[in-house]
Amino acid sequence: MSAATTLLEQVLNGLTIGMVYVLLAAGLSIIFGVMDVINFAHGEFFALGAYVGLSVALATGSGGFWVALLVAPLLVGLVGAGVERFTIRPLYGRNPLYHILLTFGLVLIFKDVITLIWGQQPYQFAKPPLLSGTVTLFGFDYALYSYFVIGIGALIALGTWLALTRTRYGLVIRAGSMDRDMVRYLGIDIDRYYTIVFAFGAMLAAVGGVVLAGRQNVAPGMGNAVIIPAFIVVVLGGLGSFRGAVVGGLLIGVIQTFVRSQFPFLEGLAVFLLMIAVLLLRPQGLFGNPEWGTGGEGGDLLTAGDADVFDSALKRRIGVGLVGVLAVTPLLIGLPSYYVNTLVVNILIWALFALSLDFVMGYAGLVSLGHVLFYGVGAYATVLAVMHLVPSLFVALAVGIAVSAVIAWVVGYLSIRVSGVYFSMITLAFAELFFSAVFKLEWAGSSDGLFGFDPVYGLFAGPSVGSIELVGGVSVFYYVVLAAVVGSYLLARQVMRAPFGSVLQAIRESELRTGFIGYDVTVYKRRAFVVSGGLAGLAGGLAAVQTGGVSPEFLAWIRSGEVIVMTILGGMGTLYGPMLGAGVYLVSKELLLGITEQWQGVLGLIFVLFVIFVPRGLVSLPGLLAGRFDRSPGGGTDVLAEEETEVTD
Amino acid sequence: MSDGDPLLRLDGVRAGYGETQVLDGVSLDVNRGETVALIGRNGVGKTTTLRTILGAVTPTAGTVRYDGEDVTGLGPIETVRRGVGLVPEERRVFPGLTVEENLAVGRYGGSETANRRDPEEVLETFENLGRRRRSRGTDLSGGEQQMLAIGRALVAGADLLLLDEPTEGLAPLIVDRVSELIREINEEGITVLLVEQNVAVALSLADRVYILDRGRVVFEGAPAELEANESVMERHLGVTV
Repeated sequence: MSAATTLLEQVLNGLTIGMVYVLLAAGLSIIFGVMDVINFAHGEFFALGAYVGLSVALATGSGGFWVALLVAPLLVGLVGAGVERFTIRPLYGRNPLYHILLTFGLVLIFKDVITLIWGQQPYQFAKPPLLSGTVTLFGFDYALYSYFVIGIGALIALGTWLALTRTRYGLVIRAGSMDRDMVRYLGIDIDRYYTIVFAFGAMLAAVGGVVLAGRQNVAPGMGNAVIIPAFIVVVLGGLGSFRGAVVGGLLIGVIQTFVRSQFPFLEGLAVFLLMIAVLLLRPQGLFGNPEWGTGGEGGDLLTAGDADVFDSALKRRIGVGLVGVLAVTPLLIGLPSYYVNTLVVNILIWALFALSLDFVMGYAGLVSLGHVLFYGVGAYATVLAVMHLVPSLFVALAVGIAVSAVIAWVVGYLSIRVSGVYFSMITLAFAELFFSAVFKLEWAGSSDGLFGFDPVYGLFAGPSVGSIELVGGVSVFYYVVLAAVVGSYLLARQVMRAPFGSVLQAIRESELRTGFIGYDVTVYKRRAFVVSGGLAGLAGGLAAVQTGGVSPEFLAWIRSGEVIVMTILGGMGTLYGPMLGAGVYLVSKELLLGITEQWQGVLGLIFVLFVIFVPRGLVSLPGLLAGRFDRSPGGGTDVLAEEETEVTD
Repeated sequence: MSDGDPLLRLDGVRAGYGETQVLDGVSLDVNRGETVALIGRNGVGKTTTLRTILGAVTPTAGTVRYDGEDVTGLGPIETVRRGVGLVPEERRVFPGLTVEENLAVGRYGGSETANRRDPEEVLETFENLGRRRRSRGTDLSGGEQQMLAIGRALVAGADLLLLDEPTEGLAPLIVDRVSELIREINEEGITVLLVEQNVAVALSLADRVYILDRGRVVFEGAPAELEANESVMERHLGVTV
């Protein structure tokens, strides 16, 4: 084959996958533009489309593909409408963060529902005979199915564009994406359009799912695999811009294909580098217009700081008591070592990770979607230090903290200049960048990770006299973890009580006003980010020692999601709330694992209910139940009421 | 109900944002066919009064009656459908939509009142908009945006038009044209409630004037009465005309 035809083939391959991205990103982008909702569950609509299509095709026999192409999107659209109506809708008027959290919970539910119905095994979708084989165009052979994907994608994009620009619904939706309240002031019930927009977005994603299913396997992870590229497309094109979604989708598809064949060492990295570059240089993306955004309904982050019923003396007693119980737990006779050395240690480590996130999210309002980066980097640095530097756990952990803090400084330096949703996106991009990079680095063990280092200083054995073990199954490491977590908590609490902490909280309340008083807001946020990164690094280091090694899993974005779930579940902005959240999350997981394979879905459901009904977390629950906060502004039950924060006149 | 009753009546309205109370018992009437101006210094509650009438702010006490019915707390969508139109502060033209599209959004909402205008009619009357029908909102001048915001409210159809600082930031020549337009709208039978910083404009247009100070009505009367009363002007407006 000549160079020209190779090039043409790559372009066509790129356009084929690009069209699938367009179908995903168009809905994602319009949903954000109109409703300010960042929908992490969009990939699951895509997967659901493929699975439903599969079942429909199997049930209808020959010609089933065409029925599936029609029926699956309609069914998924109905699911989308239900999701909007019952989960997304109650959250309008709150900070966009809550939609991110909610849809993350929905991802967990959808995934488990899919495996519950269709199982874990991958399926092959039979392409209709009509679309099989290759065709020769201009003397060039190419798969007919790819032409079909490109054609149908282009047709749907064109139809969507016409609907947006030429119909009454499209006009109102566009107006709503520019100024939602003004549409209401013209007597139009824009909220009624939201269900339509959301359902339509889900339909487009489902078409993408069915179409892609004809090209590759249908497997449970397919939603997870496309959602991050789809976000890159949306960010690149401009959040809320349909044109951006189309151009961005095709561009990313082509770039990915080219990089894979021409610069294989950059595969997986190039798109994240591109995303970071775009966010830094032109956060609004190629076609976005920051001045057209509505921004009118961004409520505050709901912290639990003022929804707390217990006084500080009582809390101190509870805290000291808890640490006391934890200190003697390993000595309790009859408790299986698994609970002590695995479950409790895991809870402590995740509590530390959640604490580190709360430090920036709950206090400085920095919603980091990529916090797993610092956790993972800490883990890798700790392991590498033990293997190559010094055989001391403590030095290695210190190295982990330091490296994480440095990375946090760099990431913070670059990303804190962009605000809100863009900040969240850029942290996600950095985390994904490192996640992809680690596969390429042989000294970091590539996809296998690094295992088998020496358990240093006999930390995993209990205290002994001569050859007699004093306590069976108790490791010194347990106490190292306990000390690290308690120490970190006390440190974080001290920092928050110091003037530095007050400034951070002022920034969360009103960045503008804090700036006006004369504080350099960016500098404070960066410092907080560095401290947080260091703490997350410590958590990662401990987790690596606990696991006995480190693998790319330590950098997977799902862990960022989990730690956010824990933080919200417990109640952010309190430091101890997220730690409690970590405990409840992991204990629930442990209990559910014994009952059902669908533990993630059940947890997701609990989390979704929490985001909707108890956004201030477990910590606020006693107050909510007692109904004691009816009158205190911004606390307790009126959490769910829409608050007008804007002051005019 | 008889035509003698006011079209709009606010009775002891208290309202604010969160803990901040802005309106401290505002009572006022707007009769059919009138132009009423609401003036006062910055931050005394003029815009909040309009937002409360529209239903965008729910009062904590007091009632808003429109056309004889209690509309307190109905919300903006229902209030607008009953015939209240808003030309908001800073115009809020849809920036990415063309002039025609901006008017069309008004067409798809609003209320079916006899005062409802056709988009084409508006484009003919406001000939400068007619010339720019395919321009985007963001590309228009301040005066054109103001005209478009008013036109959009007319297309949506309003018996009572709430105008929030329609001359703010406009060149003197344009101020005159916008004033003239408001006068014409009123002559065609639309009742106008106008919030203005420009006291001279407000007094030239209004049949009656209310002065608001710290969330209360402190003066009500004809423009001539106000002009004669220098102490009121000094105390509540800080101006002499």
